[in-house]
Parts: sequence; C-alpha cells; structure tokens
Amino acid sequence: MSDHTLPHHDDKSGHLHVDIKAIDASVRLPVIILFGNAIHWLVIASLLSLIVSVKLIAPGFLGGVSFLTYGRLAPMARDLMLYGWASQAALGTGIWLMARLCGRPLGGEHSGGFGGELLRTLVISATVLWNLAVLLGTLAILAGYSSGVEWLEYPSWASAMLLLSFLLIGIWAVLLFDRRGTGRAVVAQWYLVAAFCWFPWVYGTANLLLVWKPIQASAQGPIQSWYCGSLLALWLLPVALASAYALLPRLLGSHLNRRNLATLSFWMLLLLGGWNGMDRLIGGPVPAWMTSAGVVAGVLFLIPVFMISMNLLGMDRKEAIVAGSISARFLLMGLYALICVGSIGALASLPSVSGAVRFTAFTEAKTQLWILGAISLPLFAVLYESFPQLLGRDCWSPVLTGRHYILTLVGIAMLISLLLLGGLFTGIALADPTVSFLNITSYSYPFHLMECVAQLLLLIAALILGANITRALAGDYLLNKQPRK
Amino acid sequence: MHRLTTLLSGIFLVFLTSWLGLVAYPALHLGRLTPVPDPDNGGSFPPTYGGQAIAGQRVYATEGCISCHSQQVRQSSVTTSDVDRGWGLRPSVARDYLRDSTAFLGSRRLGQDLSNVGVRRPDAKWHLIHLYHPSAVCEGSVMPCFSHLFLIRKIQGQPSDEALNLTGDDAPKEGYEVVPTAEAKNLVAYLLALRHDYPLPEAPVKKNGAAK
Repeated sequence: MSDHTLPHHDDKSGHLHVDIKAIDASVRLPVIILFGNAIHWLVIASLLSLIVSVKLIAPGFLGGVSFLTYGRLAPMARDLMLYGWASQAALGTGIWLMARLCGRPLGGEHSGGFGGELLRTLVISATVLWNLAVLLGTLAILAGYSSGVEWLEYPSWASAMLLLSFLLIGIWAVLLFDRRGTGRAVVAQWYLVAAFCWFPWVYGTANLLLVWKPIQASAQGPIQSWYCGSLLALWLLPVALASAYALLPRLLGSHLNRRNLATLSFWMLLLLGGWNGMDRLIGGPVPAWMTSAGVVAGVLFLIPVFMISMNLLGMDRKEAIVAGSISARFLLMGLYALICVGSIGALASLPSVSGAVRFTAFTEAKTQLWILGAISLPLFAVLYESFPQLLGRDCWSPVLTGRHYILTLVGIAMLISLLLLGGLFTGIALADPTVSFLNITSYSYPFHLMECVAQLLLLIAALILGANITRALAGDYLLNKQPRK
Repeated sequence: MHRLTTLLSGIFLVFLTSWLGLVAYPALHLGRLTPVPDPDNGGSFPPTYGGQAIAGQRVYATEGCISCHSQQVRQSSVTTSDVDRGWGLRPSVARDYLRDSTAFLGSRRLGQDLSNVGVRRPDAKWHLIHLYHPSAVCEGSVMPCFSHLFLIRKIQGQPSDEALNLTGDDAPKEGYEVVPTAEAKNLVAYLLALRHDYPLPEAPVKKNGAAK
C-alpha cells in the first residue's frame, strides 16, 4: 500500500513524520459523505436532464402538471448538477487533497482527541446542511419559489444555508494549508486555496446583489454573467486542475517538466477566469467595452488553457500505465475536454460567430462541456483514486468502472457534438430573418431527438457509478460486520 | 509566495480586477441609471409597470420562462437579425430594465425573444389561449401548456366574460368553461407591458421603423 498512497507531499527535508493513515482516518467520513451524496444528486440530475430533453421533442410529455413543466425542471437539473454534484464533489476533493498535500490530519496533530472529534462532527453537520440546502432549494424550484435568476434559482434562505455550509467546510481546507507540515507549496495547493477563497466571494456577492437584496435590474446582467463565468472558471475548474496537478504526475510515474509554466498559467487563469462569463453578454444591453472585454477574455482564455495542457500532457507517459489507471484516463480526458472548452469558447466569443449562435444550443454545448467534461471527469478521477485509499482496500468493480468510463465519454461526446451541430444549424437559420421561427424549431427536432439518446447514456453511466459506489460502501459494511458473527 | 498571507493577497488582487469591472462598476454606474422624461405626456421612459404586471414578473420567474425566452435585442454591431426579425425597433440598453425586479436577459432562445412581445402581440385573449395551449394558436410550437394557470369550472348562470374562447379538442365539456387564474392574468399583464419601443438618448428609435 505504501507506493499507492497518492498524492503525498515531497518531503525532502526528511525531518517530518507524516502519518498517512492518521490523515486518511481524519477525513474519511466527510469525504465519503460528500462524494456519496454528490453521486446520488448526479443520478437525479441526469434523470431530470433526460426528462427535460424528452420534453423538447414531446412538449406534452408529463404535461399539464405545474411542477413538471420545462421551465421548472431545466433549472432544477442544472442546479443539481452544479451544487448537488460538482460543487459537493469538489468540496470532498478539496478536503482530501488538502489534507494529503499538507501532510496534516483534519483537526491538527491531536485529531484523535476531543477537539478532533468536535471538528469532524462540525464538518459532517455542515455536509448535512449542504445537502439539506440542495434538497430544499430544488423542492422550492419545483413548488414555484424560484428566484428566476439563472444558476441562482434557489430561494434566499436555501442559498444562505449553502453558503454557511460551505464556510464551515471550506475554512478547514484553508486552515490545513496554513498549518501544513511540508515546506514548499505545490501548484495543486495554490489552486485549492484560490478555489476555496473564491466560492464564498463569488456566491455571496452574486446572491447578495441578485437574490437577497436585488440591485436595480439595469445592473444585473453583467453581475449574472460574471457569476456564471466565475463559478465554473474560478471555483470548479481550479479544484479539477488541482486534482490533475496533484495526481497525474504520480499516476504516470513522471514529474512536471516546467514548474514556471504552472505558476504563470495559474495566475493567468485567475486573471482571466472572472471575465470568462462575459461572452454571455456580447451585443447585450451592457456598455460596449464589456462586449469587447468579453471577446478579448474569451480568446485570451485559450492561453492559460494551452499552457496548463502543455504542462500536464507534456509529461512522459507510458501507454501501459495510462491504460491501467482509470484515474489517469479520466484526468487526461478532462484535460482534452478543457482544451475543447477553451477552443469552443474562443470561437463563440468572436462577434460574428456569437451573433449567430449565442442563443442556440451552441452555448449550451459549451456549458455542458464545462460541467460534464472539464470539471466532472477530473472529479471522477479523484473519486476512483481516493476511495480505495480511504477504505483501505480495492473497492471498485473493474467491470462497472470500465463501463462507467466508456458510457460517460460516449455520452458526453455525443451530447456535445449534437448540441454544437444543432446550435450551428439553428444559428445560421436564426441569422436569416426570412426563415420563420417555427421553421427553425422544426430544424432542431432531429438534434433534440438524438440528444435524448445521449442523455440516456449519461443517465446509465451515472447509475452504473451509483451501483459501483454502493457496492464499494456496502462491501465495507459487510466486511466490518463479518468478524462479529 | 508560499506563505498563506502572500498567496491570499495575490489571489485577492487578481480576483479584484474582474470584481471591480463586472460587479462594482455595474453596481455603481448601471445601477444608478434613472428614467428619462417622456416629452409628450409627462411620463417617463421606461414607463412604470402596473400592479398586475409587477405581480406577473414573479410568475415569469417561478415558471422559469427564462429557460427558453430571452429579453434582449442585440446591438447591430454584433447582429442585425434581432431587429430584422421584428423582435424590436432598436437594440436593448441597460436603462430598459430599470423598472424590472430581475433582469430576465436569458441565454437561450428555444422560444422567441420577448423584449417587445407587448408590441408584437397586444391582444390579452391571444396570450391567454397561447398559455393554455400554445399549439392551438401557434402550430408546431414546442412550448409546454401552462394549463395549471387556468381553472376549468362549471358555468354558474351566465358564462364568465373571462372564459377562454376555445375550439376543437381544447374546448371544455358542455356546461363548463376555462377561466384564467390571477397568476395567468398577471403574467399576461406583464407580457403586454414588455415593450422597448420608446426612444432613449442612448437608443433612439428610427422614425420609419415599424414592428413586423
């Protein structure tokens, strides 16, 4: 087990004793709870996404019931994907990686004592609060209490709960860094600190100005776009990148060639990430300089994306090692997805392209590739890597794992290409005012039809992952019980 | 760089750039825009919403209309198709939204843009039937039915003035009528109030432009 304790810090000084077992024991329960809940939200979100896409080809499907209309289910699915799945898995990832990279158990050296117990109880209560907030927020949208702000549909009390819960969990990731036992901080740690500082800022500001105490609506557009861009590029993506920087070199048995490149790309990503959402407002009711900033940021975002990819994909790797490690494969695919996201984003930021495709499925393709590809794939990698170490045994079924990988990739590739193509066709048609709107709706029918198949594949993939993790955890339960009998 | 405080200050400063540009600037500048006087009748542009329309905004939000409908006519430097399609006489500007509680700018057009739907479709009866069963007045529409915003009830004495004039399969049973709830009426009042057809200093309306 000793050469499989990924990731751990570079302890070159040698005078520090790091007890990996104690670290894992201190974070085991919170991380398992966070990932376990994240996956059940992923399954529900995938199911809702499937229903939503069926509704586009058969508007009467599940019709006539207020809480099953497209306008309520679509935001529910999106928010569950963002807060139920991605953000929660990112929290789990952050805590595990941070504890490991810093060489400190959660709750400090005396984690076995009363203080450690108290802290763990607090963190676990916070995870319960997070899931309660997601559940109640989702039900509120269903019952017709949505705030009507895209991606921030949860009513103010639910978003306040979410923020509070984040602060209770996230503060420990930052404190772990402060008390780290290892000297030189690695890039992965920077990304984690940045991400954990940003989420409260981004989520707090956006909720305050758009939901809790809405500012005059003429100012809301840029803030909303800033929120969407920042949530992806400054909270979820840094966590995904932290896992790539922390895990990939060791999984591949290699090392980063250029640390400077990692440093530079880190700061560039941070600088541009906040502007990244402005492509949602190109040509919109904002001052002209914001449109220009959106175009520039969309194109420039390619630079950190390429630097990060060169950095991580440029490592020596043996195909046999990659083939043998599910986490390495998920991480590499996540990086390829990031390159695609950057390229699609740059293309969609060009004013002529944006003019045609901004309100079509093309934009949706980019958002989906962000969430399902660049963010979710690395999170899956962390899940597959962390659980065997936390549980102390090989817990995954190889068959289920393999099928989850294949179905996820096929589903994402199919969904994204359909959305891109469909968006392109409708975009070209929309740009021609002689083509009637209803005509355009009928063009997109075949694309919507095939999207249902892609969503079905993704649902099956999520269910397989759910079965895999249930099996892993149930196995734990059975193993614990057996000796007693 | 490896101390927490140094890292945090770096992160804070870098992050401040987008926050200043996209949150503080809009809040201080766009958030303080004021209406301009209407020279003809002493009112102001954009006009205020009536009570029903204000309540209708909540229905628009909770029903998630923004999932499929945008409310913005884009600048002609990016595309002219929004104006050419008859979705507005002029591009939308920030000042157009200052009477709204939430700016429903939207990001997807699975349905048509609604920033000027009140100009395009001024008939409340049409909107009610369209909400009750979209394909009844819009063949091929993928918009879902919002029939839960209506009541089907037994006619007591005289039929209600508000009853929808439905034909074919949509028509209720003999002796029954379909009437809109307060929510449906509020939503329609809001839709009818959606009209960016007045001139603003930063967005003049061309004289011979007419909604198609």
